Amino acid sequence: MDFSLTEEQELLLSSVREMMERDFTDDYFRKCDEEHRFPVEFMTAMAENGISLLGVPEEYDGVPADMLTQMLVIEEIAAMGGTGYLLTNALCVHNMLAWGSPEQLAKTAESAQKGIPGYSLLFTEPQAGSDNNLLATTAIRKNGKIYLNGQKTFITGARDFPYMLVLARDAEPKDPKRCFTMWWVDPNAHGVKIQDLHKIGWHQISNCEVYFDNVELDEKDMVGQEGYGFIHLMKNFEIERLVIAAYSCGMARCAFGDAVRYANQRRQFGKSIGQYQMIQEKLVDMDIKLENMHNYICKTAWQYDADQSLRLSSALCKRYCARAAGEVIDAAMQIMGGVGYTEDVRISRLWRDIRITRMAGGTDEIMVYIAARQILKQYEN
Amino acid sequence: MKILVCCKIVPEEQDIVIQKDGQLDISRSAAKISQYDLNAIECATRLAGADGEVVALSAGPRKWLDNTKIRKDILSRGPASLHLVMDDALEGAMPDTTASALALAARRIGFDLILCGEGSGDLYAQQVGLLLGEDLNVPNINAVSSVTIENGNVVVERSLEREIEVLELPLPAVLCVTSDINVPKIPTMKAILGAGKKPVEVFSCAELGVKTESLSDYVSIVAPEGRERMNKIFESDSDENIASFIELVRKVVQA
Repeated sequence: MDFSLTEEQELLLSSVREMMERDFTDDYFRKCDEEHRFPVEFMTAMAENGISLLGVPEEYDGVPADMLTQMLVIEEIAAMGGTGYLLTNALCVHNMLAWGSPEQLAKTAESAQKGIPGYSLLFTEPQAGSDNNLLATTAIRKNGKIYLNGQKTFITGARDFPYMLVLARDAEPKDPKRCFTMWWVDPNAHGVKIQDLHKIGWHQISNCEVYFDNVELDEKDMVGQEGYGFIHLMKNFEIERLVIAAYSCGMARCAFGDAVRYANQRRQFGKSIGQYQMIQEKLVDMDIKLENMHNYICKTAWQYDADQSLRLSSALCKRYCARAAGEVIDAAMQIMGGVGYTEDVRISRLWRDIRITRMAGGTDEIMVYIAARQILKQYEN
Repeated sequence: MKILVCCKIVPEEQDIVIQKDGQLDISRSAAKISQYDLNAIECATRLAGADGEVVALSAGPRKWLDNTKIRKDILSRGPASLHLVMDDALEGAMPDTTASALALAARRIGFDLILCGEGSGDLYAQQVGLLLGEDLNVPNINAVSSVTIENGNVVVERSLEREIEVLELPLPAVLCVTSDINVPKIPTMKAILGAGKKPVEVFSCAELGVKTESLSDYVSIVAPEGRERMNKIFESDSDENIASFIELVRKVVQA
């Protein structure tokens, strides 16, 4: 088994580091976070260099790369303090390649060129989180048009991305078991109302409630196959979980580096606090978690590249990384003490930002639900 | 126009270990492109534009050049091909030897303009570019802070102490550019992934007829002796403190 990176991967990561060190230091992200501003300069630069176009096919002006390379880059950007969680260009294009119309794909690819993910994904509703059977937004056909009605919540990027991908219940399903369809919606369309939610972290991207009041759509706005919306999205979720794991690991690495530097520097009772065993134990356990996370991500990405199923591994990997990254960042804050709780250092931002990874893309508990059924199945008979 | 850009592969300075006797241990140093040569590569790619051709050239021992990653690194920055004079006889080569190897290779490859950095990232002798111009018997200028091509000639600016000198030189020529002539671009993902497909040609000293005896000898390179920090801390910028600070600096400098 060879754990070494390819020369190309090493050079890509060194380019990423150079760009982050030169143009996107902590000051930049701190300011965006303070101002609750989408880091548009960063996103543009990521696309111009091709970093956020890794994994997008060449015919859409992307840079073909395997999943492992994409995850290494996302992890690296997060480890440099950047908003790795915004690098979902490739996933957006990937989805449209799988189920989008040529027009939907072209719009997504065009947005990707500017570094902006093409659409927000509107899935969750106030009464329907993990229990997707409760989804109540409906699409109904009338006089050759489709009308969308309902409410979505916790929509990441609803204000920042140019389009919306909405999962809605078919009012008159052909097959009651296949009753969800995805729709391509222009946020500026008549009847769409967007309201900001105020969250404790992830200030560099909007998160909104979205209301649909008789929003008129055409048949061409259907995304993928009618009635297969949920089934289409399952594949998206598997990759999304891996992406979440990758930036969580990167964020933890970022916090870890800051904490170790601090432990070397901060002196109490005549020596650096890194000399005390209670701090050392923290550092050692943090490092073990970092190594585990990174290896798990690489293995899962490798599975994707080898065309193996991620059904089990993406749930396990995401559950582990979201939790372990939270633990590492929390321990990093403990090492930094009171300083870590101030906004003068980025640990506090990482600490706020990491928490959502245990809910986004499916909660820790849902990861258990998905994974446990498959684990049990493996040992049936 | 064919622009030849010279670059040296040097040890990563962060990896250099200074031994007790001041000798430098570079055995664990990764290879890197000399920082100043990145400006020359950037200048070459900008001058060449879409129509011109940029060819990279480097000379050194196998230790630094027999390295596909560093070759890709050079090629990811714009040059269409890379030529190497790779020979262990060039280990620790003096500037005149390196210049002669580069000159012989340049004649073989052909060029309209040769660009070099202002000096190397390790020894910074600032001699190779000028010696190369002499060897090739073409106009050569260092400390160039701006280059343009006008009517088939090259127009350069040199920032001198009190004025900016503007010179027009006929081609072919050799120019050494300063480190502030541009900000080198960071290689794009596409360029990095495409670098491995670009051609690399390797010459040996014997093939080119490089004479490796030098006019000068390498004796030793040692790091300056380190000094214990005095840990003298002045708590405020009061007049009294500033006076004692100056007094202390004076004493230390005189000692």
